[in-house]
Amino acid sequence: MDSVKKTKMTASSVALFWVALGILVCYGATRLGLGSVTEPGSGFIFFWSGLILVILSLMVLVESLRSSEEIVQETGKMNWVKIALVLLSIVLYAVFVERLGFVLTTFFLLSFLLGWIEGTNWARSLGVASAAALGSFAIFELWLKIRLPKGIFGF
Amino acid sequence: MLESLTSLAYGFNIALQPQNLLYCFIGVTMGTLVGVLPGIGPTATIALLLPATFKLNPISAIIMLSGICYGAMYGGSTTSILLNIPGEASSVVTCLDGYQMARKGRAGPALGISAFGSFIAGTFSIVGLVIFAPTLADFALKFGPPEYFALMVMGLSVVAYLARKSMAKALMMAVVGIVLGCVGLDPITATPRFTFGILDLADGIGIAPVVMGLFGIAEVLENLGVLTKAEIFAGKIKGLFPDREDWRRSIGPIARGSLLGFFLGLLPGVGAIVPQFLSYALEKKLSRHPERFGSGEIEGVASPEACNNAAVGGTFIPLLSLGIPSNAMTAILLGALMIYGLTPGPLLIKNSPDLFWGVIASMYIGNIMLLILNLPLIPMWVSVLKIPYSYLSSFIILFCLIGAYSLNNSTSDIYIAVIFSLVGLFMKKFAFEPAPLVLAFVLGPLLETALRRSLILSDGSFLIFIQRPISAAFILFSVVVLGAPLFSKLRLGRGLSEED
Repeated sequence: MDSVKKTKMTASSVALFWVALGILVCYGATRLGLGSVTEPGSGFIFFWSGLILVILSLMVLVESLRSSEEIVQETGKMNWVKIALVLLSIVLYAVFVERLGFVLTTFFLLSFLLGWIEGTNWARSLGVASAAALGSFAIFELWLKIRLPKGIFGF
Repeated sequence: MLESLTSLAYGFNIALQPQNLLYCFIGVTMGTLVGVLPGIGPTATIALLLPATFKLNPISAIIMLSGICYGAMYGGSTTSILLNIPGEASSVVTCLDGYQMARKGRAGPALGISAFGSFIAGTFSIVGLVIFAPTLADFALKFGPPEYFALMVMGLSVVAYLARKSMAKALMMAVVGIVLGCVGLDPITATPRFTFGILDLADGIGIAPVVMGLFGIAEVLENLGVLTKAEIFAGKIKGLFPDREDWRRSIGPIARGSLLGFFLGLLPGVGAIVPQFLSYALEKKLSRHPERFGSGEIEGVASPEACNNAAVGGTFIPLLSLGIPSNAMTAILLGALMIYGLTPGPLLIKNSPDLFWGVIASMYIGNIMLLILNLPLIPMWVSVLKIPYSYLSSFIILFCLIGAYSLNNSTSDIYIAVIFSLVGLFMKKFAFEPAPLVLAFVLGPLLETALRRSLILSDGSFLIFIQRPISAAFILFSVVVLGAPLFSKLRLGRGLSEED
């Protein structure tokens, strides 16, 4: 498949995704109740927003089908494996932070990000991670009095 | 006028209190820092520091957060001039002539004129704020729900018009922002809407996790393994004070840049980026040697730098006098004001004069601090760039997580940040801009309430929006802005994008 066709297809699929989302919003809005013009209901703004989203997405769809230019990607090539790993590590952080506490979980997260994802040497990664975990705990919890999760160890 | 001056003196009294001075200093320093660092902008920084301000009094907090806004404008120019990398979006234009000046050995005067220009423009915009904000607030007391609705529609239309890519896509993002902003309990009937039975969504989606995801984490993810170490300007920077000839050539551009920036910044939806491009184009047009622009003309640095600073002052006017943010950055400030329990709107100046005047006075003090901070410390700011991006990116993620979590002490907000980081990443990939989404996200609930109240008021007639003169004017402006691209092929935003 040539690149123009490929980008056209991608752009159309993205537009169709928004069309679908718009329809879903409209559907959800009707279930909430649209009310009347004299007394708009809970779903009123959602319905109209959804409808406008559908119309605009269709415009974008037509635009992308008619355009013969290749869409210039502004972003560079993304490293999807690393992106997935970082997001996974953040999700795990969210799962464990209230159990293990802020300092320990942050230490693990930063060690992983620095040592594994960014490829910094491990001794340095562990050093920076522990300093940053303790340092941020001191700044946010002790100085700024922001409640951070303590976990079973109490820190 | 005399009343304003007395109030300003009162404001200085507040801003000069040691605690407020300290927070002003922290704000402008942080602002300069993120302005210097590419990859994190003032919008994300304000969101990052938001949780750190919860225990502060609101005046100190807003003083610090606004310091970040204008501090970033100063910092952004440093990297534009020395590295040809805009530290943040509103310093893009400064690269054109600033970097060329640096290459010709005139980095000193370029940095100097951008700092002095910023200071003059900052001073001008503060005077403008003192004059216009109270007047506008008095005028806005006449606003009812239809006027507010029309004003917000106008703001969103302008944001879409100024989109650098597709206007339809920008409008789509605005609509998505409204939908997301309205998730949670119905403000009138308290019915849960689009909460999918998740209790944490009943209060709505928080601004902090959305911004952390869209601007903070998404930026880091995009740059994973991509961002290489910047080539740092090796030459010694000397002669930071522009000479007499530099001043002669710069004073006009600084004055024009300040005026343009301030008045464009006033318009909801404009922000600080667009005026900068326009001021550059204006100077090029007025110059006797337009062909020299891009090769190191001091006018090409002085005017845009003055302009982006004045624009920041301008954007504070709709925020503080109407309660309407004009860009993503002020949208978060609006969110902050609400978190502190203040009601943004025309009554803010009357009800919280200490906040309004204290913040304005602190902006003047902050500008002086920035002038002092920037010029002698430039080598230090440049050395900040030597910090490996791997460290910065990890810390940005950490701060985003703390910021997302600590508003409600809830891990669900971390999941929301993760979701929005993915959304942000895909938006970047498919050329959807995040700014209209964030602005509409904050405006969404206000827009909905204003719309529903207007319709109840008019007994269901949409004519209410065009029967009242002020709202009719706003609607007319929106129609013109949205309809303009149908008649002219060239849209301002697209033109700007080509200029990049």
